[in-house]
Amino acid sequence: MRNQETKRMENPLRAFCAMWILGLMGQASFSQSIVPPAGLEVKQSWWSLQPLAYNLPPKEFESQNPVDAFVRERLQASGLHPAPPADRRQLIRRLYFDLIGLPPSPEDIDSFVASTDSDAYEKLVDRLLASPRYGERWARHWMDTAHFAETHGHDQDRIRENAWPYRDYLIDAFNRDKPYSQFVKEQIAADTLASDDPKAIAGLGFLAAGPWDESSLRDIREDTLDREIGRYLDRDDMLSNVMSNFMSLTVHCARCHDHKFDPIPQLDYYALQAVFAGVERANRSYDVDPVVASQRKALRTRGEQLLTLNELTSKELLEEVVQKTVQQWELQRSYRIPDWKSVLDQSITSTDGSLFQLQEDGSFLASGSRPERDTYTIHARASSSLITAIRLEVLNDPSLPFKGPGRQENGNLHLSEIEIAIDGGTSRALKIVRAVADFEQKDWGIARAIDGKLDTAWGIYPEVGKPHEAIFELSEPTQLAEGEFLTIRLKQLHGGGHLIGRFRIATSSASLPIALDPLPPEIATILQVAGSARNKEQRLKLAQYVERVSVEKAQASLPKPFFVYAATAEFEPDGGLKPPAKPRIIHRLDRGDIRNAKEVVEPGALTCIQSIPQRFASLTSKHESLRRAALAEWIVDEDNPLTWRSIVNRVWLLHFGKGIVDTPNDFGRLGSTPTHPELLDWLAIHFRDNGQSMKKLHRLLVTSQTYQQSSRASQCLDQGQVVPRSDQAMRLDSDNYLLWRKDRNRLDAESVRDAMLAVSGQLELRMGGPSDRQFDLKPGRHVTPVIDYHLFEYDGSSGMRRSVYRFLFRTLPDPFMEALDCPAGDQITPIRSNAVTVQQALAMWNDTLVLRLSESFAKRVESNFEEISSQVDFAFQGVIGRRPTKEESEKYVQFARRNGLANFCRFLFNLNEFVFVD
Amino acid sequence: MVGNELMISRRSFLESSGNGIGAIALWQMLGLERCASQSHDLRLNGGLHHPAKAKRVIQLFMNGGASQMDLFDYKPLLQAKHGTKFDPGSQERVEAATSQPGNVLGSPFPFARHGECGRWVSDRLPYLAKHVDDMAILLAMTSKTNVHGPASYLMNTGFLLPGFPSFGSWVSYGLGSITEDLPTFVVLPDGRGLPYNQRGNFSSGFLPVTHQGTIIQANLPEPFHGLHAPSTAKFITPQSETEGLQLLGEANRQHWSASDKDSRLEARIRAYELAAKMQLSAPEVFDLSQETTATKRAYGLDNPSTEEFGKRCLLARRMIERGVRFVQVWSGSNGPTGNWDNHSSIIKELPPMTAATDQPTAALLADLKARGLLDDTLLLWNTEFGRMPFSQGSEGRDHNGGTSVGWMAGAGIRPGVAIGESDEWSWKGVRDTVSNYDFHATVLYLLGIDHEQLTVQHDGANRRLTDVHGEIIKAALLD
Repeated sequence: MRNQETKRMENPLRAFCAMWILGLMGQASFSQSIVPPAGLEVKQSWWSLQPLAYNLPPKEFESQNPVDAFVRERLQASGLHPAPPADRRQLIRRLYFDLIGLPPSPEDIDSFVASTDSDAYEKLVDRLLASPRYGERWARHWMDTAHFAETHGHDQDRIRENAWPYRDYLIDAFNRDKPYSQFVKEQIAADTLASDDPKAIAGLGFLAAGPWDESSLRDIREDTLDREIGRYLDRDDMLSNVMSNFMSLTVHCARCHDHKFDPIPQLDYYALQAVFAGVERANRSYDVDPVVASQRKALRTRGEQLLTLNELTSKELLEEVVQKTVQQWELQRSYRIPDWKSVLDQSITSTDGSLFQLQEDGSFLASGSRPERDTYTIHARASSSLITAIRLEVLNDPSLPFKGPGRQENGNLHLSEIEIAIDGGTSRALKIVRAVADFEQKDWGIARAIDGKLDTAWGIYPEVGKPHEAIFELSEPTQLAEGEFLTIRLKQLHGGGHLIGRFRIATSSASLPIALDPLPPEIATILQVAGSARNKEQRLKLAQYVERVSVEKAQASLPKPFFVYAATAEFEPDGGLKPPAKPRIIHRLDRGDIRNAKEVVEPGALTCIQSIPQRFASLTSKHESLRRAALAEWIVDEDNPLTWRSIVNRVWLLHFGKGIVDTPNDFGRLGSTPTHPELLDWLAIHFRDNGQSMKKLHRLLVTSQTYQQSSRASQCLDQGQVVPRSDQAMRLDSDNYLLWRKDRNRLDAESVRDAMLAVSGQLELRMGGPSDRQFDLKPGRHVTPVIDYHLFEYDGSSGMRRSVYRFLFRTLPDPFMEALDCPAGDQITPIRSNAVTVQQALAMWNDTLVLRLSESFAKRVESNFEEISSQVDFAFQGVIGRRPTKEESEKYVQFARRNGLANFCRFLFNLNEFVFVD
Repeated sequence: MVGNELMISRRSFLESSGNGIGAIALWQMLGLERCASQSHDLRLNGGLHHPAKAKRVIQLFMNGGASQMDLFDYKPLLQAKHGTKFDPGSQERVEAATSQPGNVLGSPFPFARHGECGRWVSDRLPYLAKHVDDMAILLAMTSKTNVHGPASYLMNTGFLLPGFPSFGSWVSYGLGSITEDLPTFVVLPDGRGLPYNQRGNFSSGFLPVTHQGTIIQANLPEPFHGLHAPSTAKFITPQSETEGLQLLGEANRQHWSASDKDSRLEARIRAYELAAKMQLSAPEVFDLSQETTATKRAYGLDNPSTEEFGKRCLLARRMIERGVRFVQVWSGSNGPTGNWDNHSSIIKELPPMTAATDQPTAALLADLKARGLLDDTLLLWNTEFGRMPFSQGSEGRDHNGGTSVGWMAGAGIRPGVAIGESDEWSWKGVRDTVSNYDFHATVLYLLGIDHEQLTVQHDGANRRLTDVHGEIIKAALLD
């Protein structure tokens, strides 16, 4: 039941107690963990901050695996004997679930049990580590610690369409066995530190994996304190993710004051805030193809060069080659310049009480109380007697929300329908054949303003705060007689105050079609001057424009980039979420309160590790990515003792069920101390100095005798003989801190689900790509959709892939997986709780998925075997991994006869022998 | 691993030990430990640290930010200054989360004094107005934020960010269950949908998932997840159900005997026995047909506008009666309408919410009182923040963390008192303000829990519902 990282207050006492029982209380580390240290000096001497110490494995155990040497020495000193080796059936099942998260097939088991090869176990380990299933299994562990999910969390729990590439990055990183320092660097600063591998950008998904408060960071007003609070909290999540997972430190506890237990001053905390002050969470584009990546990069550089006219660019633009291109471009220009002219003598009325003021630029600005809906009617004279098209510009004004152009709280507007007529002579409605707009809100395109339907409309969200325009082309050129005038009706009937705040109307007499991207006025003016008569500046400006257009064209012709939801300084603005031009200034917040902003803090890392420089002040004026790169380099510095201890402890924990340090993300004073400190340091150094290979580390650990022990408590191995273990010995270290046996663990949620899929023959092994949404999804009343896991149709492949590919909804997690302790991604979860609960029993017994798989498993078995006894035998072996005894078999056959095989399969999936791994 | 002196003495001060066998350990593993252990110390009356006044809680939560100055926080100045520029004469900048501050917006609803205590209540709450003498009303509750997500988390978990255990989860964790037949912490969401933050508001965070709020949808064939097999699983029959569970128990016991009688294996066997028990007993609680016509009418079940919320209030009472520890009843879902988040128009959007909840809430209070349940049950009425004294658009109100109203009634609560005061605009709390921490500390106190002692070490800190804050609201308590 206990989540080991989540301990009641009593639990430090509990560790105390275990050590007391073991007679180990004399150790300084344990007394320190109970008596709060008086000052920093004591804090600084804390074990985890000491340099790694190289200890040779104890001599008398030298011939063994170094892991065993350290463990056995400790056991011997405590008067404990190890357990006998697990039998081969247990061993292969343990190893399969541990390394690949799937059960061995009965054939795998039989051949392993029967093998006479003395290296059979080692070969099995190598085979499993080479399997792509390994990456899927271990990526999921990392997703727990990174608190990865695919929605924002909070009240606006929006789907992140591009979160999954980070998951695929992890699977690939584990399968390719990336050296750990590379793995760390790519997740913090791939943009700088892995520039030769464009795919590695997806690793930056790590920094954005956690929740994000869309309301606070995108939708509320930019000028509020709530927005600023949101930003500090958002960076808090990023820096916690980095420091908790890579360093096993609780730096976030120093947000309001110096860390109460560890030597982490508040200034260090804010230095880390400054490291992330240049990024937001958003969709970051990247290319998988290095050629495309370099082309895109070159074009971007060229585009940036062309933005300013300096000596260098000017010289180049006047060169003959460029000028020739300009001439060519001018010749090829086929579209016409629309002669937009504002309408004259305007008047306006409103059906619902909006008030208007005519502005100097010929636009109307709405004011007064804002009705829910409205229809504006404008009467005006056209500036020319011929009109072919009408332009509606919606404009900004400081009086409008987000400067408009709409009057809705978010700055949006919805134009349900536009109608144009001629009055004052022969009254007639004009037909619009085509409409184009410079921007269309998703599902609210401009065509909806001319479709004759009042319940559809044109909108511009989230592109508020900037002007937009729509052009309506008439079915035929229309001649206005003397005295005739235009009547334009803007129906805005969607409700919620989605009204146009400021707008202007103009007409054109140019022949159709009118291009939407009209030339900038400046360029249009230059083009009216004959080529030879243009002065230098005009030639420059034109060349600059033409070159930029050609860059844009080339950019548009490149394959579409990939996107990953990640930390990034560059992204498409989304409503109130805009790319920061430069890193934000970070202040130390006294008591963590935004109202108490104190001194400005430069980027940096922790001062408690004195062997590595920890301030990056020189980077303040440089590109933000260098701050993250500096932090990443600081973390993977070989003299950083925490990093290496942290990762080997994490991997150890996942193999043994508990860490050498019981609190994998807290090596501080509130955390536990190592049960085997010499072993921890030996592993850390061995790992650091031998290629930092995870696979080698797995191999080392799982080939140890310690790992291969039986989980039986009642037997032990004394001088090569299996003898009963005395009650006293069992009690000596009942929590098995000293590893005198292997712990028995419940399968985690993914293993339960994947194993059921595998044995029932349903598992689909397709890897990667967008996540499987195993729920019915409907639009919600607000941002968050309504989803229902029960309504999902499992037929079809999206229900049958490995659990790592399930879509992870933060505030609406799958109740079945949740009952089995699968985390929702709200909090960093270095250790899952491994509970047995009533809810879990109900879920395992009654959940739709379990019942569906019971049925399909039964069908599969029935189609392969005719005899019910063979069916029972086969199903039992598939789920449990052994043959049923004669007595079991008889009982089960009887049950299956009476109740059908599907009910028997349901029974099998609920057995403790299935759910626990010995 | 049978207990001996050493183990037992250790357990006596290490309550959460997962080892050793026997009833207490099993209960602990199933997250029900208090149920078994609390009976040992009758002096505490079910409390964890001191004698409890209250044993159970019903919390009614008005999702979206109920408008305090249109319900309880009467401010005549707003009427007097209606339509003028809002100028509170304060140094503090006037800002609103989603809009530009408009002019002063007086409440469109008339207020009158009610009860012996003379409490001001607007005419939108005619039923509740009759019960003001039973309530301790908190007239100046404050929030740290003006945004729904963080504010709802704060009011439900004590933190602005997701992932922390909810109020009900802490109570479940601290006190355990009263009954084996039903979940300990139950949530009844609005029929229109989940509130802001969806299930995040009733998550168990880093506590074991068994303490999470179980969502009950009483109108569905499966009122909560896993209670019954879905009807689509045609292969399941009453016979297979009984025989299957029996065979499972036998096989698991055999495996347990052969596995050194590992206590975790036994806990899982027990979990299935309890699950089976729950399957049998739970449906009865959802059966409202057992209630009298008079009761149903009192809760407004005969009226389409009150029926939905009324049913859930009645269900809350039935669950409390049958031993559920903590019931949360939500009014309002997330979204632009159909909740208390009345941005567009107070006069149009607030009355449907009050109309739907006023009568059932009053009926629940009266019913609990009449049945004597109020003696050891707390009834709480809350929201995540208040609303602004100035207009959004022409007649709506934006979010206001500065002040809001909540009330408490029942076990240990001093009836008829008002605590705290907002400024003359109801813009900010100015006297005896009550934070979410104070509020939670007070409820925990009444449940026999010292809020500073109910902690869990997580991620480098001893986490608690009240973070590092919380003062008990003494004025709201009897003696």
